[in-house]
Amino acid sequence: MSARRSASARHLFASLRYNGLGIIAAFLFLAPLAWSVLVSFKPSVEARQPPLPPWPVGGFSVQSYENLAKYGAGIWTYTGNSLTVALATVVASVVVSLLAGYGFSRFHFPFKNVLFVLIISTVMIPFQSILTPLFLILTKLGLQNTLTGIVLVYVTLQLPFSIFMMRNAFDAVPKEIEDAARVDGASIFAVLYRIMLPLVLPGVVTVAIFAFLASWNEFLAALILLTDQNKYTLPVLMAAVRSGQFGTIDWGAVQSGVTLMMAPCLVLFLGLQRYYIRGLTAGAVK
Amino acid sequence: MTGSIHEKAKIELRDVRKSFGAVNVIQGLDLTIEGGEFVVFVGPSGCGKSTLLRMIAGLEDVTSGDILIAGRDVTDLDPSRRGIAMVFQSYALYPHMNVRENLSFGLEMAKTPRDEIERQVQAAAQILKIEPLLDRRPGQLSGGQRQRVAIGRAIVRKPLAFLFDEPLSNLDAELRVSMRIEIARLHRELGNTMIYVTHDQTEAMTLSDRIVVLRDGVIEQVGTPREVYEDPNNLFVAGFIGSPRMNFVDAVYMAKNHIGVADAVMPIPQPLIGISEGENVKLGIRPEHLTVGDRRKDALRVKVDFSEYLGSTRYIYCYLPSGEMLTVEQRDGRYFSPGEEAWLSCEPECLRLFTADGRRLRPAALHVEATP
Repeated sequence: MSARRSASARHLFASLRYNGLGIIAAFLFLAPLAWSVLVSFKPSVEARQPPLPPWPVGGFSVQSYENLAKYGAGIWTYTGNSLTVALATVVASVVVSLLAGYGFSRFHFPFKNVLFVLIISTVMIPFQSILTPLFLILTKLGLQNTLTGIVLVYVTLQLPFSIFMMRNAFDAVPKEIEDAARVDGASIFAVLYRIMLPLVLPGVVTVAIFAFLASWNEFLAALILLTDQNKYTLPVLMAAVRSGQFGTIDWGAVQSGVTLMMAPCLVLFLGLQRYYIRGLTAGAVK
Repeated sequence: MTGSIHEKAKIELRDVRKSFGAVNVIQGLDLTIEGGEFVVFVGPSGCGKSTLLRMIAGLEDVTSGDILIAGRDVTDLDPSRRGIAMVFQSYALYPHMNVRENLSFGLEMAKTPRDEIERQVQAAAQILKIEPLLDRRPGQLSGGQRQRVAIGRAIVRKPLAFLFDEPLSNLDAELRVSMRIEIARLHRELGNTMIYVTHDQTEAMTLSDRIVVLRDGVIEQVGTPREVYEDPNNLFVAGFIGSPRMNFVDAVYMAKNHIGVADAVMPIPQPLIGISEGENVKLGIRPEHLTVGDRRKDALRVKVDFSEYLGSTRYIYCYLPSGEMLTVEQRDGRYFSPGEEAWLSCEPECLRLFTADGRRLRPAALHVEATP
């Protein structure tokens, strides 16, 4: 009887320890996010005070959001810029990597592997080191200080990983399924669109999430390549907001910007994580 | 798609070759498959049987030669325009589509009207008894059901010929038997030309009108199951067809229609052609043709190594004084203990003789040109 009681106590202790550690880890990860969100709802004056307690003492206020909305050309312009850049990057990255991944996975052509290694090896080049040549190229093409230009840069930076991801996704689809579709009379585009695309969807989602997060959060290239304030994306706007006026920093506006920026990332990631995890583990087990 | 489901298309291969770089996988193959015939390609792994099937399907390019289906040269045509349907080993169903969509995909691609598609799908589902499964996804089906759907997908296209690439390999033994019977029934009902690739001898023997035995991209023999089993053209075919395989022992061709094997002298029905007295030959005897009997001059003396009991039959593994192993299929239920001496005899008509390099030696009176 006492043995059973001690086993039960051991089980309870193990459970408490397991859940306790989980709660601590979750707290450590969530605290900065919660802090940002809470500070963004403090009145501007209170947001400048020492951070404890983190919640608004004098009641919730949207003053910081109003300040942010009025900044520069208005928050909606910058959000629109960011959304345009992020969505265009996602679409272009997905389309190009889908076609390239299919080609690398299924077709035989001279120097295929050399070309693939070459594309992948570009990941090793630090992005910062090619900013100047990129700036010059975009200027020559007349794309400097345009959202199209910045999208092209982001897509170029995303492609090595995206192509690698999509080739793996296509490799995981049995060749016989494609053969069956060909026997069924599907053209090469019908095979790709009707048969292969739904099967590599987890890979597509992974590529899309990575492209969205990278372009949505990217700061350095946008800062250097965009000179017109009306074309700033949200990260560049945040830097401008943070630098403040006459040396004062509106922490409330900064945190409301942070909250605004992280919302789509969280929604996208949480909504699509099911596909995302399947995409990363595709082909790991049969 | 042309032709009715009962159309019987002849398939002709003319000097068909396939190379992957410097490797010749199919080496100049000629074969005619009559309309409505059920032909099985068998051979060891890597012999080119699946490659040949894929070449007929149009999924693999032909390096040289011609492929004709129903008299039409299809060598350079797309798979979908050859009038064939294929059933794959791994079923190759579209996992994101339900059974109905899987069955109708080919017809959709051929721009068949919707009501016609529905009619065809229902008809195929009825033939294969998969009507209750039409709204399920492949992942929700058992192996046997999936294979039925794969066959259904082939049927709806009303092909001139069906190509099966080891379709039952992924099924368990019991299901394999029932699906084998279903495929035979399907052939009887539809009457189409069917080509079936397998390494399973039972499937080859039971399903086929003719068997094509392949080795290293070359046809070793084409014939009915009985011909290939009882009258093999060479040592390879004799050894490949039949389970347990044919016993082979060294022998010497002697005068007066006799051969010497170990310390026995065995009669053969008639003199052989293409061999002279004193030459070494290979003697082939099927396990079921050996009988355990009394000590005689023409009986082989063996020592029993071990035996396997299989219910209706027993395999006895024994060896000659020379060390060569022999398998005997024994049905009289008598038990032999390891190390026991026994005498094996065989009817002269059941002996098959081959040259040292594997060619078949035939009695002069029965000599026929080797096929093909």
